[in-house]
Amino acid sequence: MLSPTLDRIIGSRRRRARRHVLVVAILLVFVIVIFVLTLSLGQSFTRPGDVVRVLLGENVPGASFAVGQLRLPRAVLAMLAGLSFGLGGAAFQIMLRNPLASPDIIGISWGASAAAVFAIVVLSLKGSIVSIFAVGGGMGIALLVYALSSRNGAAGTRLILVGIGVSAMLESFIAYILSQAPAWTLQEAVRWLTGSVNGAQLGQALPLLMAFAVFGALLLSRTRDLEALRLGDDTAAALGIDVARTRIMIIVTAVGMIATATAVTGPIAFVAFLSGPIAARIVGNRGSLLIPSALIGATLVLSGDYVGQFLLPSRYPVGVVTGALGAPYLMFLIVRANRTGSSL
Amino acid sequence: MTVHSLTASQLSVGYGDTEILHELDLAVPPGKVTVIVGANACGKSTLLRAMSRLLPPHRGHVLLDGKSIHRTPPRELARTLGLLPQSPIAPEGITVADLVSRGRHPHLSLFSRWTRKDDEAVDDALAATKTSDLAERPVDELSGGQRQRVWIAMALAQQTEILLLDEPTTFLDISHQVEVLDLLTDLNHSRGTTVVMVLHDLNLAARYADHLVAMADGRIHVSGTAENVLTEENVRRVFGLESRIIADPTSGRPIMLPISRHRMVMKQDLKESRP
Repeated sequence: MLSPTLDRIIGSRRRRARRHVLVVAILLVFVIVIFVLTLSLGQSFTRPGDVVRVLLGENVPGASFAVGQLRLPRAVLAMLAGLSFGLGGAAFQIMLRNPLASPDIIGISWGASAAAVFAIVVLSLKGSIVSIFAVGGGMGIALLVYALSSRNGAAGTRLILVGIGVSAMLESFIAYILSQAPAWTLQEAVRWLTGSVNGAQLGQALPLLMAFAVFGALLLSRTRDLEALRLGDDTAAALGIDVARTRIMIIVTAVGMIATATAVTGPIAFVAFLSGPIAARIVGNRGSLLIPSALIGATLVLSGDYVGQFLLPSRYPVGVVTGALGAPYLMFLIVRANRTGSSL
Repeated sequence: MTVHSLTASQLSVGYGDTEILHELDLAVPPGKVTVIVGANACGKSTLLRAMSRLLPPHRGHVLLDGKSIHRTPPRELARTLGLLPQSPIAPEGITVADLVSRGRHPHLSLFSRWTRKDDEAVDDALAATKTSDLAERPVDELSGGQRQRVWIAMALAQQTEILLLDEPTTFLDISHQVEVLDLLTDLNHSRGTTVVMVLHDLNLAARYADHLVAMADGRIHVSGTAENVLTEENVRRVFGLESRIIADPTSGRPIMLPISRHRMVMKQDLKESRP
């Protein structure tokens, strides 16, 4: 005997799940299309067929250098950094139930950036050791902001305000270090202040890919717990979640992937902040926002970098483009929060 | 249905250095409706939070079937002991059926798939709270009373034998308050669910409680049947209020009528009326 409601419940759950898969598939195709487009469209046009042949390792005269040496490393880094920023940012926003609680607003990306700059300029370090510094810096700032704001267990608004203050301090610290650097170039400064994939090399992609795979898998394994946290900490605890442990786990994994990406590209402005809310608009109530946010992040960085390189009167790094998108949204959120009198 | 025992023994709980509950003992009668009342800041919500693992004890224990709930894995505990907090948050745009299915969380593990049993638990919870017709509506479009019924449905989908509720009737108008309390009584009668709730309204508390607990200053002042607990003397001690207690003509339960300084038609000497 099947109650009509049971039938309806099962039907609508399956429908939602199917639509969620469809949304993810469309976003994935979108990322792949943009990825291939950025490989074939540059100063010159390379036919997609040639692009594929270069990717398969063939030597195509006139295309191998432009695609293989210039465009591919750039596109790969942009995509991986976008995936990391999008996924890590959304995890923070969902966990703290606030779009402003994104790692680039509350100082975590700046912490990673500051530590990377310190390692490069002051300690003259290179390569993967810089990533380790960045992860340490991001983690340290995350813990600092968390500790400073978690008196009486309250997070939320205080965490965001503390984070904004810490961000400002770190930003000026970065500017100071760069001004002391013996031969700092504008390009380098821009990388550490707004983020850029200029001068990308394929070798930089490996640590990024590994961090994204490991931390991403850990984070995605907590999808259900994150969904439960959206109901409030008390409700989540009543549903059998160890809230404190889950929080730490999510912070460590999200900071790990965001800091690793920041060590390579710098803090690409507002990608972590924008991806979750855009994904929420697209996905609605059909399911988890984590994977869609990662794909939106990749879309933002890939297309932002393309716009910055070729569609504007002069060349801009990707962070300038994403920053121009993110800043108005930040203002919108703050104005809306003030008007409704909500606690941000 | 197996009957679980939930007890607090010598329980002291607080926030930081401030102690709110002082060496409190409470045995929740299994299969009954227990209502906790008391003045603001007497520690009644704190007691409920401590009994459901949201607050760690400074000293003493909360025991479920003799085992400390702080030593029980959270997921396992959540299959026996449910809690509806005072202000749960409904994510934007979530549908009723989706929200109620969140109650299945402790029954799912990382790799286990959603099964027919889970769907049936959701269906059952919707039917019990008369929210089946709302299943596909977004929760943010519902009225306060409907929304509270949906949250209770979520707690029911968790299928726990003990259900704690922190002021389930706040923000509801009187007809919805009665509706929600009737619903919880139905559940207690039909499923034998042990219900423990904090209520503000003394008269509703006396109406619905099998076991009434009156708290003052982080201690249990008195507990027992409504008739034994809701007395003029206890109201004076717990709330600092002069009152008259009469019997409710429909339920026979005691009703407390506060005595104010104004609008007195019957002169009475309060001191004389003290037992």
